[in-house]
Amino acid sequence: MKQQNLAINELREAVLRMPADRLSATRTAAIASLKQNGLPTLRHEDWKYTDLRPAIEISNQWLAAGANNTASDTVADAIATITSSLDANWLLITNGVIDTSHFDRGASIEIARFSDTSAPPLADKPLADLNAALLNDGLKIHVHAATEKPLGLLIIDAADTGASVSQVNIEIKIAAGCDAELIEYQASLGTQDSYCNSIISMQVEESAHVSYVRIQDRRIGHTQTARQSISMGAASDLNMASYDLGGGLIRNDLDIDLNAPHANVVFNGLYLAGDGQHIDNHSRVDHRVGPASSSQEYRGILNGRCRCVWNGKAIVHKGADGTDANQSNHNLLLSDHAEIDAKPELEIYADEVKCSHGTTVGQLDETSLFYLRTRGLDRRQAKQILTHAFAADLVGRTPIDMTRDTITALVGARLAVLIQEELL
Amino acid sequence: MSSENIESIVNRRYEHGFITDIESHGLPPGLDESVVRAISTLKKEPQFMLEWRLQAYRQWREMTEPTWAHVHYPPIDFEGISYYSAPKSDADKPQSLDEVDPKLLETYDKLGIPLHERARLAGVAVDAVFDSVSVATTFKAKLSEAGVIFCSFSEAVREHPELVQKYLGSVVPRRDNFYAALNAAVFSDGSFVYIPKGVRCPMELSTYFRINAANTGQFERTLIIADEGSHVSYLEGCTAPMRDENQLHAAVVELVALEGAEIKYSTVQNWYPGDENGVGGIYNFVTKRGDCRGDNSKISWTQVETGSAITWKYPSCLLRGNNSVGEFYSVAVANNMQQADTGTKMIHIGANTSSTIVSKGISAGHAQNAYRGLVKVMPQAHGARNHTQCDSLLIGKNCGAHTFPYMEIKNPSAKIEHEATTSKISADQLFYCRQRGISEEDAVNMIVNGFCKEVFKELPMEFAVEAQALLNVSLEGAVG
Repeated sequence: MKQQNLAINELREAVLRMPADRLSATRTAAIASLKQNGLPTLRHEDWKYTDLRPAIEISNQWLAAGANNTASDTVADAIATITSSLDANWLLITNGVIDTSHFDRGASIEIARFSDTSAPPLADKPLADLNAALLNDGLKIHVHAATEKPLGLLIIDAADTGASVSQVNIEIKIAAGCDAELIEYQASLGTQDSYCNSIISMQVEESAHVSYVRIQDRRIGHTQTARQSISMGAASDLNMASYDLGGGLIRNDLDIDLNAPHANVVFNGLYLAGDGQHIDNHSRVDHRVGPASSSQEYRGILNGRCRCVWNGKAIVHKGADGTDANQSNHNLLLSDHAEIDAKPELEIYADEVKCSHGTTVGQLDETSLFYLRTRGLDRRQAKQILTHAFAADLVGRTPIDMTRDTITALVGARLAVLIQEELL
Repeated sequence: MSSENIESIVNRRYEHGFITDIESHGLPPGLDESVVRAISTLKKEPQFMLEWRLQAYRQWREMTEPTWAHVHYPPIDFEGISYYSAPKSDADKPQSLDEVDPKLLETYDKLGIPLHERARLAGVAVDAVFDSVSVATTFKAKLSEAGVIFCSFSEAVREHPELVQKYLGSVVPRRDNFYAALNAAVFSDGSFVYIPKGVRCPMELSTYFRINAANTGQFERTLIIADEGSHVSYLEGCTAPMRDENQLHAAVVELVALEGAEIKYSTVQNWYPGDENGVGGIYNFVTKRGDCRGDNSKISWTQVETGSAITWKYPSCLLRGNNSVGEFYSVAVANNMQQADTGTKMIHIGANTSSTIVSKGISAGHAQNAYRGLVKVMPQAHGARNHTQCDSLLIGKNCGAHTFPYMEIKNPSAKIEHEATTSKISADQLFYCRQRGISEEDAVNMIVNGFCKEVFKELPMEFAVEAQALLNVSLEGAVG
């Protein structure tokens, strides 16, 4: 398969047009690294099922058109709708540009731009080069103490007049002993193709407790590669839930490092895919020290012509005794054209461990469908009820109570469309 | 357990390690077209075989060694290997066991395989592959009465070229992978089985493999064809002499099950695993694949893997026929410095196909043991069903257990389940056994045998006993 290359020369020119600031040196280094290493292709084991060509095509279109992102007028409305539905302290990133106008500066949270402080060193991860090369600006967030409202990150991409490409880089530090709530909301607007490449890294310090909800509700014309790297301190907790509802090509990489004993991580995910969607969730948990625990459950509902990928990897390093790791993944495959590629991986180098994984792929239970039909429901209604029930379990696991209604509504609306799509 | 006792167990040498000083006549090390031609000439092969080998050789030259397996080893010098060796008495091959070189029989005795006795007592026809040329085939008459063809591959090429030509490479194509291509170019011998329509093979067929001459890679090729409605159970077992240089073994096994046929293929693999420091040992890079070509056919793989320094083996099933069934039962033990990357592939192509995978991996010492498997359901494979259970048992602090299961599901009517667990022998379990007066070593053996029970019960009787004993020997010194 021929891999289309990123237009490096145009990219270099676009970077040269960016203002000189504290990020300039990293941008130059990133271009060199990008030129040498390129972007991952299907030949890379981690990218076996996800073809990045749409991201390259959108990037090249955008570069050819002068690398401008024009935010549309409708963005303000969209922002208003989202921020009013969820009462959080919002930081906005619109087409890669940081906007702190909705953010209420308080004593508990400190924020700083990369351009005012320093850019982080170039990470040795796929797509980190692209991010660093084109990054407009990044944000450092330091949560010192528990806040009244959750911290909100609204990442919105709008493409009205032409393709849009944005880079997001956020570094979050949760101070020792602090309880923090975080809501990440991703949305997109416009009729043209957009691509967002994001990196969010989070350091959870000793005895801190983090609740994290991630809602991805992008348009079908949106392509996304998102990497989250989370590092856990001693006796810290993370409870995370991700909801992938939209998007054309979505690739999420979640890396969690358990560096100190007694850390405890729970992360769950729900992905709903219909016609034209490709949703890929990769996670990697590194148990470096024990005792510690990690647990994940992902569920997928696939209908229409779509493909989902789930790859959960747990690595128990030598000496990480007392590790308890488990992964589970369940999929409802509702159409002849849907495909799921699942791969639960365990790499274990210690013996005092308990590790398990389970994966299932199946359909709605015919007996249950029959039961509902004997109660006078038609087949579509019966399917809807059972599909909702499959998803409801994960909706109920959102760690931030105030998000439950929004998530229930979004999942409900998405499922209604998904089931409609089915040819009965 | 006293430390002295542990010491003595740890230091026990590989029981089956010795070298028979039979003069072998072989080809000098190195590989080029002339070597391929020489092998073909030595074996008096028809033209089609030579061409097939040459094409494979040319394709192999263009391929690169795979590196994706979770194993580490120094690069293999393919020019340093001799690609053909044979016992000297090749020219006038023995017609019966009485004529077999007594030194060979001695070798089998040392291994605890009294060939004729075993064959007679157990009712097993043994096609013993000693190095590269088959030297004894028994019970031929009884088999031919049933119409079963069971012979060495070289004989099959000469006697039944039409069958060989029709099926050779039809399951594992020449250029399937690097080692399969190498095998296709230089394979020396192997076994050939044909079970005619509607015949239930009157006895279990068995081959014992031995690697003997130094620096000789063994490249066996096995082809089993079960015609419509037939049934066969085939046993493969092996041990190898101790040697300090790594030896490459790249075998290819092809199974073809036509409509309503059933093939049961069982393996006990106990090749020299190298010493406790990882010196020596066999590199076992094997391609095994079964093709359920006809409707209602069934292929079942059972393996007990305790030997080899490195194992790289994925017995697979292509479930092409409607209602065809694939099974894979495996116990893989890795101790000391052994590395195993093994598993299976189940490719569901026909309608209502089902597959079962039960894999038990045991790691001890500094060993690395990985399960790698693929369950693929093609879009047309309606009603496919798979259940996979893969469990790992860790013994000791320095070993590793890994699972890499791939599931690619393209049909909505598929029901796929995958479960995996990893655990160690718990102190509670050991304490309970010791409290009842069972020694620690016996307790470990008991627990491990219990862990593997699901697989052992799939083995034919003779193998089940051997496998349990082998497992105990393999894990000696692992717990102290």
